[in-house]
Amino acid sequence: MTKVLGWLSLAGFLCVGVLIFGFTPNDRLMGFSQKIMYLHLPSIWITYLSFFVVFYCSIAYLWKRRERFDRIANSAAEIGVLFCGLGILTGAIWGRPTWGTYWVWDARLTTTLLLFLIFVGYVVLRAFTDPGEKQARMAAVIGIVGFLDIPLIHLSVQWWRTLHQPSTMFKLGGEGRPQPAMPPEFLYPLLLSLLVMTVFYGFLLLYRLRIEERADMLAERLAER
Amino acid sequence: MSRTVQFAVGGAVIAAILIGIIYQGTQSTVFFHTPSEILAAPSDFKGKLIRIGALVLPASTHWNEDAVRLEFKITEDSRQTIPVIFEGVKPDMYREGQGVVIEGRMDGQGVFRANTLLVKHSEEYDVDQAKRIDKEQMYRSLMKAEQ
Repeated sequence: MTKVLGWLSLAGFLCVGVLIFGFTPNDRLMGFSQKIMYLHLPSIWITYLSFFVVFYCSIAYLWKRRERFDRIANSAAEIGVLFCGLGILTGAIWGRPTWGTYWVWDARLTTTLLLFLIFVGYVVLRAFTDPGEKQARMAAVIGIVGFLDIPLIHLSVQWWRTLHQPSTMFKLGGEGRPQPAMPPEFLYPLLLSLLVMTVFYGFLLLYRLRIEERADMLAERLAER
Repeated sequence: MSRTVQFAVGGAVIAAILIGIIYQGTQSTVFFHTPSEILAAPSDFKGKLIRIGALVLPASTHWNEDAVRLEFKITEDSRQTIPVIFEGVKPDMYREGQGVVIEGRMDGQGVFRANTLLVKHSEEYDVDQAKRIDKEQMYRSLMKAEQ
């Protein structure tokens, strides 16, 4: 299963690359630099998804106290930090030619940085405490509290005046239905990119989880000796 | 000192810092002001370092290449405007009618002296119809080939 997902995502990335650089037209105002959207938006989507997995598994762990939930939460948090960093980085690269700056302290960017730092803290906590029930409990609390920043990030562009533009994918059209504010030439490659990135996330999560399980198994064997 | 006391002191410090940050935040939750806010109370803003977010008034741009100075008017309703002088290079994405966020100070004559000019992008994307995918040119620019 893990292998299949790995090969699928590799093939998917190739398809997306060819599609974006070979067949998708440029944006009217931003031109070529707008293509980084096809990486920026999926990175942020995986960040949200991954930290939701952390949130869900943290609650499940505190409730059921099963080690498996703790392992999934740990794996998802690490991958989430990776994609959150990637989202911030691609945003900075995109911001320079578009806005004229790599970084501003507006509400969207600041709350996203906060999310990144909370989960860096989560990973650091895991690294500096002994594995066990107590570590799992502390991590779960941070995982739940940290996730609460995501609705704030999402709504920040509606609540406050920001340099970052409002949401494109959830823009409401007529009759209040979501209607992405982009032509189909941009939308379909983006949707494909989102799908491929999600498959890739599945691959990373399963792989990371396997490492975690084996490390735990090894620790048990060593303890028996 | 017992652990409970330690935790109580630590918790109190963290809570105090959080309250301080939130208080600070509510004092200035806006990333930028709007032209009408400035014009409604000019004395409140005079000489202070502020950001303004507004639209560039069409047909108001004067770009002086030799002095590297960009002059334009900003507005939000096309009626009330503020003249802006930005000492710096005109950004590639600068367009009249588009949103900008500028940072600087109001001088005595009602002119905004900007030292930073950021271009705001809308959430809408559109295909470049004029040069609907000129692939050859794109690869040339990618490979830094002779244009």
